[in-house]
This record gives sequence, C-alpha cells and structure tokens, in this order.
Amino acid sequence: MQKATIQPLKDLEMFLAADETVDVDQLIPLPFPYEDWHDEPIPGLSNDQASRIESGPDGVCAAQIPVPPSDEARERLVAKFLEGLKKLLTRENNWTFLQPLLLSMDNCVKCQTCAEACPIFTGSGRMEIYRPTFRAEMLRKIVDRYIKPGGHVFPTLRGNDIELSWDTLVKLAELSYRCTLCRRCAQACPVGIDNGLITREIRKLFSQELGIAMPELHEKGTVKQLTVGSSTGLNPAGLMDVMEFAEEDILEKTGINIKIPFDVEGAEYLVMHNAGEFLSWPENLQAFAIILTLAGISWTLSSELVGYDSVNYGLFYDDVQYARVALKHYEVAKKLGVKKIMVGECGHAHKAIMPVADRLIPDELRVRSESCLVVLEDLVLNEKILLDPSRNDFPVTLHDPCNITRSMGIIQPQRNILRKIAPRFREMEPHGVNNYCCGGGSGFAVCQSLNFPSWKAKVSGRLKFRQLLEAFSDSIEPETKKYVCAPCSNCKGQMRDLLSYYQAWERTGMLYGGLVELVVNAMVDVREGFIDWDFH
Amino acid sequence: MAETVLMTWVGCSLGIFIVGCTWRILRYALTPVHLRWDLYPVAHEPAARREHGGSYMEELNWWAHPQRRSLAGEVLAMAEEIIFLKAVLRNNRRLWLRSLPFHWGLYLLAVTTLVMIPLSAGLAWRPLTFLLQAAGLGGGGLLLIGAAGLLFLRITDRELALYTSPLDRVNLGLLAIFGALSTAVASSQSGVTGAASLLASLATGRHAAVTLLLGIQIAVGGLFIAYLPFTKMIHFAAKYFTYHKVRWDDAPRTEDTRMARRLQSALDYRVEWSADHVQTGSTWGQVAASMPDAPGKDTD
Repeated sequence: MQKATIQPLKDLEMFLAADETVDVDQLIPLPFPYEDWHDEPIPGLSNDQASRIESGPDGVCAAQIPVPPSDEARERLVAKFLEGLKKLLTRENNWTFLQPLLLSMDNCVKCQTCAEACPIFTGSGRMEIYRPTFRAEMLRKIVDRYIKPGGHVFPTLRGNDIELSWDTLVKLAELSYRCTLCRRCAQACPVGIDNGLITREIRKLFSQELGIAMPELHEKGTVKQLTVGSSTGLNPAGLMDVMEFAEEDILEKTGINIKIPFDVEGAEYLVMHNAGEFLSWPENLQAFAIILTLAGISWTLSSELVGYDSVNYGLFYDDVQYARVALKHYEVAKKLGVKKIMVGECGHAHKAIMPVADRLIPDELRVRSESCLVVLEDLVLNEKILLDPSRNDFPVTLHDPCNITRSMGIIQPQRNILRKIAPRFREMEPHGVNNYCCGGGSGFAVCQSLNFPSWKAKVSGRLKFRQLLEAFSDSIEPETKKYVCAPCSNCKGQMRDLLSYYQAWERTGMLYGGLVELVVNAMVDVREGFIDWDFH
Repeated sequence: MAETVLMTWVGCSLGIFIVGCTWRILRYALTPVHLRWDLYPVAHEPAARREHGGSYMEELNWWAHPQRRSLAGEVLAMAEEIIFLKAVLRNNRRLWLRSLPFHWGLYLLAVTTLVMIPLSAGLAWRPLTFLLQAAGLGGGGLLLIGAAGLLFLRITDRELALYTSPLDRVNLGLLAIFGALSTAVASSQSGVTGAASLLASLATGRHAAVTLLLGIQIAVGGLFIAYLPFTKMIHFAAKYFTYHKVRWDDAPRTEDTRMARRLQSALDYRVEWSADHVQTGSTWGQVAASMPDAPGKDTD
C-alpha cells in the first residue's frame, strides 16, 4: 500500500497537469496465445493537428475541440461553461435528469468501490484519470467552488480547491469521452451513485451550451440522421438500393426469394434496425428478413427519414437531440399504424426507444415497443421455425450489450435461444447483468478519428478481449473456428476493430456476428452455410 | 448553567437536524419527473427474474401481462444493504471490515439513545440499565473501531486519500472521538443513568445533573447531529431515492393522468441552453418537435 504524501485534493489537478499518456506496458496482460503480444504506444497528434485541436490529459482526442484563437475566447468559453453548469442544476433546463444528477453529485462518499467495476480503469492498469470518480469529482469541485453559495470559503478544508481554466475544461470534456457509460460502476455503488450519468451530464453540458461534442455523435450523428435520414448518410433512395441488393443476396445465398416489405400500413411490427447494419453487416438485416418472413410474421421497414435508422446517439450526449430523434421514431410508427415497434440488434436503440422514451413520447404518439430478442425467443423455443442445431457445431460465446442487459434487464431470451441452437455455447465471465462493456459503448464504436481508435482497441476494449480469449480457452487454436455472438450493432463495430487489432482471426480463428445470423445458419429451410467464415 | 447550555445545544442540534434532513429530502423529492434510468437487477422483480437481473421486458408482449412486483424483494434488498452493507461486502471487502463496525456502532448508539427516553423512568431496574450499558459500550466501541479504521485507511491508502478532503478526516476523527466518549460514558452505571436523565429532561424540562464526561459526549454528539444533514453522510436518506426513484423506478407508463400532467408541465419548461442546435427560448415540447439548426462549434 502506497502512502499519501501531499495535499490530497490538489492531486487531482496534478494528474490532469501531468499529461500522462497510456503506458502500454501497464495494460492488463492477455492470456495464451497473447503472452508475447506487444502494443505500440498510442500515437500522439501531429504538430499540425495539435495546433488546431485540443486533446485530453492522456494525449488522446475524441471530442475534437478546436483550439480557441485567443485568451479572450478561452475566457468567454469558461464563462459560458459556468453558465451552462448553472443551467444543468435547474429544473427548467434539466428536468430530464435533475433528480439522479443531484443524488449522484451530493452523496458520493468516495469509497472507490466503483473503481474495481470499471473495465477502462482496470484495463488501463489503473490510470487515475480513468477512475470513475475522477471526472465526477472534478465536476463536483467546480460546482462546490463556483456555483454553490460560499464556495470560496475555506476551499482547501472543504476540498473545493480547484482553479477553473480553459485547460481544465478541455480535459474534463475529453475525459467525458473516456467512459463508455456502461454503468457497471453504478451497479457496484452501495449508495447508488451513477458516475456514468455524471459523465453523460458533462457531455450534455458541453453539447447543449458550448456546442462541443464528439463529431461522430453530433454533426455526423444526430444532425445527419435528422436531416438526411440516417447517421450513416444513407438516404431513402440509397436505402432502396441496399434492400434490392439484400434481396438478391438472400436469393443467391439461401435459394429463398424474399421481398423486403416497406411502409406496410397496419403491419404487426415496424422493425427498426441500426442503419449501420445495412452498410456494414447486411447479413444481419437479411437474416431478420428470412426469419420473419418464413415465420409468417407481419412486418415492415420504414422508408421515411429517421424511421429506417433506430440509432439515437442523443442518448449518449444531448437531451435535445435525443428527444428529437425519439419523437421522430414514434411519429413514423404511428403514421404507419403498426401495432408494435420491434427493435433490432442494437443495444442503445433498445434503451432509447423503450424505457427512456417511455416518459417522453406524448400519448397521441405512443406505440408499444419490444425487443427483437423476445420475439426471436418465441419463434425458436416454440418451434415456429425449424432448426438443426448441429449446423452450429462450433464454439459460441455471447457478448451482452450493456444497454440491453444492465439498463433493461433483458438477459435470458438470448441465452435461451443460444442453448437451443448452439450446442457448444459457453458463457464468458462475468456475463449477463454483470457483463463488461465491449469498449465501444456510448458512441466510441463509431469514432474512427485521429488517435481514438488506437485508444479504444488498447484500453477500453482490453478487458473484453481478454474475456473472449478466456471463454474460448479450451479451443483457442485458430483451426477451430469460433463465433462471438454480439447482438448489437455498435458492439459489433467494436468487435470488428478489436479482433482486427489483435489479429484474432489469424491467431485464434475468432469471428464475430449477430444472433440472427446464427439462427438462420441453423434453419432447416435455408441452404447450409449462411455464416460466411471467410468474412473476417 | 452548564446544564442549561447543554440542553439548549442538544435541542438546537435536534432542531437543525430535523430541518436539515427535511430540506435535503425535499431537495430530491420536489424535483420534476425524470426520464427512466433503470439499472438492473431490480429488487422488486419476482424472484425467478431477480436472480439473473431480469425485467418484465423479457416477456413477449410485456404490456399484456400483469405487472408483478415483489415488495418482499425490495424490503429484503434494502435490509441487506442497511444491516450488512451488502454491496460493499461484495465489491470492497477491505472497506467493509471497517465500514460495518462503523455503521453498526452508529445504529446501536442511535437505538440506545431512542430507547433511553421512554425507558428512563425505569432505570432503577438493574437488568435494563445493564442492557443499555452494554449497548452503549458496544455501540461506542464499534464506532470507535470503525471510524478510526476508516480514518486510518483514508490517510494511508493512496487511492482513498486522493479523494478525502481535510473536512472528511475531521468528520471521521470527530466520530471516533464520539465513539470513545460514548464508551467511556457507558462504562459506568452512573453514566448511563445520567445520559438517560438528560435525555428525559428534554421532554420534561426538569433539571438533570451532568458530569463533565457526559457533557462533552453530548456536546460532540450534538455537533455531529447538527451538521450531519449538510454532509454526504446523509446518504442514508439519499439512498431511498437512488434505489427506489432511479435504479428501481421501472414502472412503464400507463393511463396515469398524474404522470401525464407531470410530463406535460416538464415539456412546458422553456429551454435556456444556448448552443446553436438548441432553439433557445422555446419549450421542451417545441424543441423536441423541431429540427436542429446548422451545426457549429462556438469556439471563436
């Protein structure tokens, strides 16, 4: 045990000022066959980039904040931040999360019980700036010092001794993008403090007051979705092309002629996919089409703006954008007159469309919504589709998307399906409601800019990759093809990057994909070999 | 004179405690309805689902099934938390070894104090005095061990020390002293009867003789009670909200007109956020129904 030596509360600022980069030798070690694995350091920004864009205390850049042109501009931004902070604590501006925020800000006893639960803190080799309480404590000090009455009285004694500057704020903003909002820390907290929520509120303050947010979430995310139709940039005309291709592909792969239904009024289900599937993993939407059609379910997709993309990145950083997208989703469903919304394999879309929107959507727009996982469970367990599990005779493990499990409590349906269709299914540890985030949560999966991809492969996804190796330790040799089932589009994005970075196909024969692909792979009515092992 | 000052101090402390706690609870209770932010496991789910952290959303057509909520599950979960600090035990055993005696000490002293008031008339009955003495000794001793242990840990452990303010240390030190004083007072029969007489006199207004040791103990205890609501040690009250009103607040919306009214009043608030994409000055309802303005970063 190390001894504390100096004024403790000053140390947080010291960690910020230290500009300590990730020491790759301190990352948690990986098991066989990765004992010899060597990580290169996370690259810094180039001089040109650094002259234009701010970076975090670890030299990593996610929010891509432009360097202000002058000291006056910096001072204006600091003043604006404080204005925003006041708004964050008012009911008019933050009715959406005021109660949970106040509870978490007021009552943390800083026992650090949450730290061990955090995959980024532990995966990084316990870098202090990644500790769940670190950024929360920074915000708390700023509130206590600059917002609460008497904040300047005995600041050292009370622990409010923080001096606010643009540099401090930049680091706070960047650190809010070093947490995947997986809420594992909140689950471990004896008091119920939610550091994930505080992180989201920091992002929100920067976005809603200063217009600062990770571009992949805002300009290229919600703004594009609301104006073009999808955060992928796919417009309705492009969507039709993609679907036409998907129909041809289904016919070629399975021998089944399927017409993907669009804008069918009064259908039982409006199926909402993450549009990332259409471009990156078309086999997922194809599998859905095959299952739902062969099971005789009345379903439709929407071709209307936003209606064909279940993504709602507002959930990760901005209440205004969240509300706009959520409202649009329900407007589309209501207009079509469908009986229910079925959310496809996308974790955050589950949470955005189901529980969180529950207290936002006006009565006149309300439509019932449910998870695709429970619908699939019904089809599989009640034998509404014919299955031959022997077609899936390879090792399979399940990655649990945090938003579906920890934030919604949907745990068993996906397991019941896998037990039925995958004879060599095994759990990773921990799993279910106690799972580890893939490391791509809260928008990280879609951020491919600057040095952030290197960080998320080495740091935020490290623990998940170790879990995968451990889950397959009995058959880790590359000759045995194995399947990581990740029923979430963003998780798959992170899996793609993780498996690629760690050369997992070459070293272990590990492939990732969704749940429906496994179901179709086992369907008797479909030609064998739906899962394409050459796709890696 | 000293007794009068002490009595006044205790009375003021209790008054401040009640006002402070009420203010703190109202601070949370009077906030607007918030968006759902469930966190699983949820304790009132039926046992079969609670075990794996499941929810009603695991059912097909979940809205068509009656919502089964287990009150026993909630009571059991809270009891485990309050009595055994289960989350700390599960996730932070080193802290739990100190935190458990700390909390049990406080519980025992609080219960002993409360029991003393109505029973003060019967203190001549020796077994009761003995029982109160034992409770006071046990409570004070556990508090002393727990608070001193926590203080030591928060000074010597770098990870805890980083996040422990000087005032936090003062608080723990004060509680350790209070534990020691309570042990000293409870170690003699006259100490217990003196404390009981003093507490009874709060209700009756009759004069009660106070020893120096008891006087110091009561003064320190009063100080603790008075500032407790203004510190994070009030988390015992906040915990009700964090669990019942946030983590476990999973009730799906129904035709509940009260909820509809609360939501409507929230949607009628005017938005003052000033980023480009927010339509400042409109209501939340209007902003949600609008499209964003052109994106831009306000950094020039």
